[in-house]
Amino acid sequence: MNHPNPWRKASFLALTLLSGTFTAAAAEINVIIEEVPEYDIVRELTAQFEAEYPDIEVNFDAMPFDAMRDRILTSSLAPSAVYDVIIVDNPWMTEFARAGYLAPLDERIAAIPGYDFSDFLAPLREIGIVDGTIYGVPYYNYALGLIVREDLLAATGRGAPTTLDEYRALARELTTESMAGAAMQPQRGYKIMEEWKNWLYAEGGEVFNEQGEVVINSPEAVAALEAYIDTYETSAPENSLNWGFDEALRAVAGGRAATMLSYNWMLPTLNEEGGIAGERAGRFKLYEVPGGKAVLGTWSWSIAANSEHADDAWTFISWITSKPIEKERVMAGGAPVRRSVIEDPQVWAEGYGEDYYTTLVGILEDAAPLARGNGAEEVINIVGTHLNAAVAGQKTPQEALDDAAAELERMR
Amino acid sequence: MGLRLRFLLPLALLLTGILVYPLVFAGWISVHDYQLTRLSDIRFTGAENFTDTFRNPNFWNALGNTLIFVLGAVSLELVLGLALALLVQRLDRARHLARSLLLAPMFITPIAVGLLFRFLLNAEIGVIPFLLRGVGLSIDWFGPQLALFSLILIDTWQWTPFMFLMFLAGLESLPRSPFEAAEVDGASRWSQFLHLTLPLLRPVVLVALIIRSLDAFKVFEYVFAITRGGPGTSTETIQYLIYQTGFRFYRLGEAAAMAFVLVAVTLVLVFLLYTVLRRS
Repeated sequence: MNHPNPWRKASFLALTLLSGTFTAAAAEINVIIEEVPEYDIVRELTAQFEAEYPDIEVNFDAMPFDAMRDRILTSSLAPSAVYDVIIVDNPWMTEFARAGYLAPLDERIAAIPGYDFSDFLAPLREIGIVDGTIYGVPYYNYALGLIVREDLLAATGRGAPTTLDEYRALARELTTESMAGAAMQPQRGYKIMEEWKNWLYAEGGEVFNEQGEVVINSPEAVAALEAYIDTYETSAPENSLNWGFDEALRAVAGGRAATMLSYNWMLPTLNEEGGIAGERAGRFKLYEVPGGKAVLGTWSWSIAANSEHADDAWTFISWITSKPIEKERVMAGGAPVRRSVIEDPQVWAEGYGEDYYTTLVGILEDAAPLARGNGAEEVINIVGTHLNAAVAGQKTPQEALDDAAAELERMR
Repeated sequence: MGLRLRFLLPLALLLTGILVYPLVFAGWISVHDYQLTRLSDIRFTGAENFTDTFRNPNFWNALGNTLIFVLGAVSLELVLGLALALLVQRLDRARHLARSLLLAPMFITPIAVGLLFRFLLNAEIGVIPFLLRGVGLSIDWFGPQLALFSLILIDTWQWTPFMFLMFLAGLESLPRSPFEAAEVDGASRWSQFLHLTLPLLRPVVLVALIIRSLDAFKVFEYVFAITRGGPGTSTETIQYLIYQTGFRFYRLGEAAAMAFVLVAVTLVLVFLLYTVLRRS
């Protein structure tokens, strides 16, 4: 009778157990992300990450912006996170951090030699810092700039507008029967607030002062709103009161509007050969917003406080935001967040040219977030509602801003 | 436990889980300061959320917009649905084809309908403004004067088929003899419609009105996809306001109180509608 050797049996058992252990060691992290072109770049880079870190599998749940906030909330309230990595829009950062949804990153950042957190442009990295603790690392910026049809600007003999008055005069001059001088976005809520706040900065106004008091009904704010309404009435496309980003972009791309205040990275999209602008590709140029100070938006990478895979989540975040990978992301068309990358001649050459990145540094260095603090989302909605009512002619600018101020006071 | 009760138990448990528990929980939330981002600091506030709701001008504005929307949309759908049903009923060969074609809008998800009309009515790239410009008309569909009416028209486009379906089924099941007798007595078509068709169809009208009104009260998708409640607050409906308060601003206690007030208003209106139609 052939009895199996007990040592061979034990070795086989050990090998089986070990192989099982190795298989189970591969961790999965789930990432909630907005479905935009930036995501396509990140997804492609992630294949490289998974090759470098075979023990970590990254699953993306990409979705439209409107679905994200609810999903992040439900994941954060669950005993164990559905999403280990969360991308956080700048108005949500304080609220989510103070609610305890996000894990602090200070120690993790300090533990990586050469990560160089200070390399992220200051206005961008400060968005991820709440009450002195870092909760988010910049992912990509969506600061606003002025996009102008260069051929039309040249025909006027004017230079690029640097003040609000110059911009308004230019928009009026460019307006014809078939061309709007400015494709504006006065849709209620987020869009009008995002656009008008540039005008507010240009007039020297703010929503809250440094002491946190409501100052949105200041004379500067009233002047900014009057100027905005005047430009809407004289230079924007007819019947565009509910226009948002899509409509404005289509109007400019389609040759029916000459300028727009929009995300800086729309410039490459408009200038892309064979892209949405057709024969007009190459004729668009990016400038700083009139007045110089722009509204800043930034998405940041964060780790869910209730994640069971926080270490793996950080491995992914620190990799995707590291200098070399950020450079690859930007050269593939992503919106930069690190100074070393924006100022890199190789990025200029392989990206969208020195001119674009130089202008972008100027925009980012003097930009301020759309809204910050607890209830930022509601602040945007309140102000955006009253602004839209003023543009619709339902209220005077002073009435609209007084009402907004009163509602902000009640909210606080 | 008796056999009947044992048979009822699974259903009772299911209903408790999916209906009673959420309702009771919503009731509990509505009397607390319940904010999703401050769950460690929930305070009992009694009727404060309700008094805040009654004092909130945005709530009354949204309720007014919703009532105008329901009244406008359901009335238009009633008239058009009945007219279409009367027309299609007379068709012999093409009746099935017409019925299938007319029902199509109902099967599109409302958010898609909202997005569809956002671009169809867009002043720059929309087909409808383009065609209207051809005959010298320029209409600001989403301007302060017309925005709510535009949403009513969109709802009418999508939900008239429902009314049509209900009325066609009702018309096809009406007894023939009263109509034959009226013909013999020389009653005109209009007279037959007024004195026979409408009274006989009343139960169907009642059910269709109640179902559509309740459904129209839930209007959210068109507002979300097209106007976001603007211009100003011209198209802010009650469901949109509740969504904003509860899920954008995380003040769930306030949102729950608004929802309960809405339920009360809806119940009163349904009761009134039911009473009026039954009496007439």
